[in-house]
Amino acid sequence: MRTGDDPGDQRFLLATLPPRAGQTRLAIGTVAGLLVALAIAAPFARLTPDGTAVLLPAYATAVLLTELMTAVLLFALYATQRSPALLALAAGYLVTALLIVPWALTFPGVFAPAGLLGAGLQSTAIVAAGRRLGLPLFILAYALLKAMESGPREAHRPALPAIAGGMALAMALAGGLTALALAEDALLPRLMVDTMRETPLWRVVPVTALALCAAALAVLARQRLSVLDLWLMVVLAAWAIETCLLSFISGGRFSAGWWSGRVFGLAASSIVLLVLLAEMTTLYGRLVRSVAAERRVRDARLASLEALSASIAHEVNQPLASMVTNAGAGLRWLDRPTPNLVEVRAALKRISDDGHRAARVIACIRDSFRKAPPQRSRLDINGVIRSALDRTEGERRLNRIAVRTDLQQRLPPVNGSAVQLEQVLLNLIANADDAMAAVTDRPRVLSIRSRRRGLTDVIVSVEDSGTGLQPAQEGRLFEPFFTTKEHGIGMGLTICQSIVEAHGGRLWVAANQPHGAVFRFTLPADDEPERPEAGAALERTR
Amino acid sequence: MTDRSAMAVETPFVAIIDDDPSIRESLVSLLRSVGLTALPFASAQEFLQQRLPDAPGCLVLDVRLPGQSGLEFQRELSGTDIHLPVVFITGHGDIPMSVTAMKAGAIEFLAKPFRDQDLIDAVHTGIERDRDRRRNLDVLCDLRERFRSLTPREREVMRLVAAGQLNKQIAAELQLSEITVKVHRANVMRKMQARSLPDLVRIADKVTLAGDA
Repeated sequence: MRTGDDPGDQRFLLATLPPRAGQTRLAIGTVAGLLVALAIAAPFARLTPDGTAVLLPAYATAVLLTELMTAVLLFALYATQRSPALLALAAGYLVTALLIVPWALTFPGVFAPAGLLGAGLQSTAIVAAGRRLGLPLFILAYALLKAMESGPREAHRPALPAIAGGMALAMALAGGLTALALAEDALLPRLMVDTMRETPLWRVVPVTALALCAAALAVLARQRLSVLDLWLMVVLAAWAIETCLLSFISGGRFSAGWWSGRVFGLAASSIVLLVLLAEMTTLYGRLVRSVAAERRVRDARLASLEALSASIAHEVNQPLASMVTNAGAGLRWLDRPTPNLVEVRAALKRISDDGHRAARVIACIRDSFRKAPPQRSRLDINGVIRSALDRTEGERRLNRIAVRTDLQQRLPPVNGSAVQLEQVLLNLIANADDAMAAVTDRPRVLSIRSRRRGLTDVIVSVEDSGTGLQPAQEGRLFEPFFTTKEHGIGMGLTICQSIVEAHGGRLWVAANQPHGAVFRFTLPADDEPERPEAGAALERTR
Repeated sequence: MTDRSAMAVETPFVAIIDDDPSIRESLVSLLRSVGLTALPFASAQEFLQQRLPDAPGCLVLDVRLPGQSGLEFQRELSGTDIHLPVVFITGHGDIPMSVTAMKAGAIEFLAKPFRDQDLIDAVHTGIERDRDRRRNLDVLCDLRERFRSLTPREREVMRLVAAGQLNKQIAAELQLSEITVKVHRANVMRKMQARSLPDLVRIADKVTLAGDA
């Protein structure tokens, strides 16, 4: 279900999540319903009941709200995903939403016999043509941009300027087209004979619109489909049906066919909006559950660590207590008026025994860790990084932390335990995320980089834009039980360091510029020609 | 209990219950070095099976025992006739645990490793407390013995005297002559070894408090 390109995202975003079978069925059902409605409406399409012009403002308002909300939803989606394709689509929806306003205002016989804004005969038709062609054009642009997208997204760029730019461009486009439509009639192409009937030239518009719809559908269908893509295809289908009804079947403006085209189009876009909203709510719920699960795992791990350290403390404390008491007893036997050397000797002997016992306890603990020797294999550190990012995705998404990965392709494999190295990365990532929790005045960016260093090493760096470290903290950071967190136990980095060192590498910290901290660790590269079984292990860790 | 000859030569003892043999040995050595008799036990059961010396003592109890915790054992002991003061030692003492122990009357709650002086001080406090308790108990035994030596009539007279009645009233109530009451009263004072009337009242109180007056 998931590919390795962008771990995690797909579970939570409409724009990347593949549709479930039920969703696909619902989408096909919607299109089928529209087709049935088309068949039912077709025989009555040429009837033109009187006095329906008053309904047009209500229709326009509904379209305006639906498309505006869809645009806002898409801009919001862009804010979390930063895909240029989404920005284009959002801007496109904004353009078509804005164009409905001059369309309704200039419509002859609605607000004024010749339309408001000093409209000419062609004004409304020009605006309508802009809308008719605009939507499939923008969806086509979205599909093409999405097809070109590959590799990591530039998630660290602030979203606000891009969104503002997209909105400004949309307003300029809508404004420009409106201004054009309101220009001198003689300068405009003749699309209308009178207020009710089109010229043959108008035929170019629906044909082009249908062609654009078909092209956009084709481009979308060739890609890996997301939930959003699926519903955009429904929109395109509805748009095409609406275009057919309006232009080829209906008896011109205000005819039954014309109105049913309008209503079907509106119904389809409302369904799409509602489905998208429902999907987003569902996905948000899933995100929250996933975060809760991540927390539970982390808490359970902490609890077992606490239990372990308590039992170690007890096992070591017993001989320690005995040694202290024996030393006290020995001193008292010595301090007697006639020192009792036999007792002193016995006490010293017991101290020595207790010392050995404490050493055995510690050796035992170390042995029990060694008993299950870590499964060392040749592995791709980039795969470990992706897996660690994947497992911490939910928490980061909730805290609005962007990830920038810069993983060098064709890194030499390293020899180690995937579980332990992932533990190191999970720890460093969790620390970075925690360090950025309090940041509000700049983007929260987690950057992970992997590189080959020299001939012998692979280096991985984990950077954050968080609060950074005090120089006094930096020196003590790797000490056991030193923590900068309110509820930390101060073992994370100590364990990380011992894991990295056990792998023959090194872990250190430096200040990040201009904010935050950067943790780097090296691991020796394993450039030996691959043995067959090692190759299999490498595959497993991916 | 009433063997007075044991009391004269009594040496205090310290019972130790800890399942860790090296802790036990170190405590025995420490306590012997300050002249105390130490009796080590590996478990609460072993302790209960042993007859304890009739002397003031103290119990050093590990909180973490196999089977039953030290705190539970302390509770269990309070229901028996073993009234040794308890000093707790623990490898993982936390505050709620120590509060429970102290409320149940423990002398001290020491976290391992403890300072040897702290333990010795706590043990001495415990022994002193036990010695006081035993002394009170002995006095009471003595008084009861004396009370038992009274005749039924003398006991009645003692009860009424202690209740503050005059000889005349007592004579009326018991239908005796005042002279006879005076004789009984003198016998009571002598047998109970009371030096004065208030002394007798105090003695009567103690005997009554003990429950069988």
